[in-house]
Amino acid sequence: MNNDENPRSEQPEGGAPAAPDAPTPPPAAEVSGRQRLKAGLWPPRLSRAQLIVAVLLFGLGLGLAIQVRSTSDDSALRGARQEDLVRILDEVDDRTQRLEDEKQRLDDQRTELENSSDQAEEARKQTLEKERQLGILAGTVAAQGPGITLTITDPSGAVAPDMLLDAIQELRAAGAEAIQVNGVRVVANTYFSGDAGDVEVDGKKIEAPYEFTVIGKPQDLEPALNIPGGVVQTLEKEQATVLVERSDEIVVDALRPAQRPDYARSSSP
Amino acid sequence: MIAVLGLVVGVVVGLLVRPEVPAVVEPYLPIAVVAALDAVFGGLRAMLDGIFVDKVFVVSFLSNVVVAALIVFLGDKLGVGAQLSTGVVVVLGIRIFSNAAAIRRHVFRA
Repeated sequence: MNNDENPRSEQPEGGAPAAPDAPTPPPAAEVSGRQRLKAGLWPPRLSRAQLIVAVLLFGLGLGLAIQVRSTSDDSALRGARQEDLVRILDEVDDRTQRLEDEKQRLDDQRTELENSSDQAEEARKQTLEKERQLGILAGTVAAQGPGITLTITDPSGAVAPDMLLDAIQELRAAGAEAIQVNGVRVVANTYFSGDAGDVEVDGKKIEAPYEFTVIGKPQDLEPALNIPGGVVQTLEKEQATVLVERSDEIVVDALRPAQRPDYARSSSP
Repeated sequence: MIAVLGLVVGVVVGLLVRPEVPAVVEPYLPIAVVAALDAVFGGLRAMLDGIFVDKVFVVSFLSNVVVAALIVFLGDKLGVGAQLSTGVVVVLGIRIFSNAAAIRRHVFRA
């Protein structure tokens, strides 16, 4: 910059290397630039010019070092300009927004999955409950609860299978939920066969006394048996003795194997 | 020689002391450093040409720095700070290269 006054500063690159046409005095042109550089460097002279230049160069070195340090050891944000910072901030905001959206989406998804798994669990529970109820009806699981025991002694061997069937029907009509007769579970397709004194239930021979274990509401079951002209009176006409006992804890534990139908399929979805 | 020592001492002090630059000056420091480099190269060339005047060097050094910072400041105010500082750096870079070419011709005679 200090050669602004120097006309040679506008000189093109390929100009004459020496300066024969320069307006400087001819004796100066005899000293080459290399010699001047050498003379300036060694021996060191403490001149005013040298001191001033040293001070300025000190400032330059200081600025240089500070700038290099601040761009190297700090993040890129330190040297960034205002508009760059605004742009970076915008990008960060956008990114935050995107991540927030994604988080929201994932949260929703998680809630949905939790709900559906809750629903699946609920459905499973209901299915289990239903299976247990149906198991009681089908006789594949044991049952317990309040009910009555009905004991029929038949000293004269006059109790016919249809009387026992009447007793079963009467109990069912009165709300019996689980019945077993002498260790045989009574289910929907149970049948009585044989003759008086030689009764078979589902093809299995049973002997007097016939003992019915019934789960149901005792206050309903007992009167149903004792109505005039009902089961108890009919049996007593045949010289059988009938004993009905209520109990709060009846156990029906005779089981039937679960049968898988060969042809029938559930038509419900 | 003493001038070279001044430069070295400045760099060392800057690295060791780690001075905190005020935030106001911070955006202008890089461009000011480049402008000062240009002045230094110009001064070196003038010295090799044998026309070095210390007063001219001081004035050109300081005015270079001030004008460069001013241009950046103005550019920031006008909203073209980034482009303007790029322009300043390009211009100064071209000047540094032409000065370096002149210095090279003096030193290596080529």
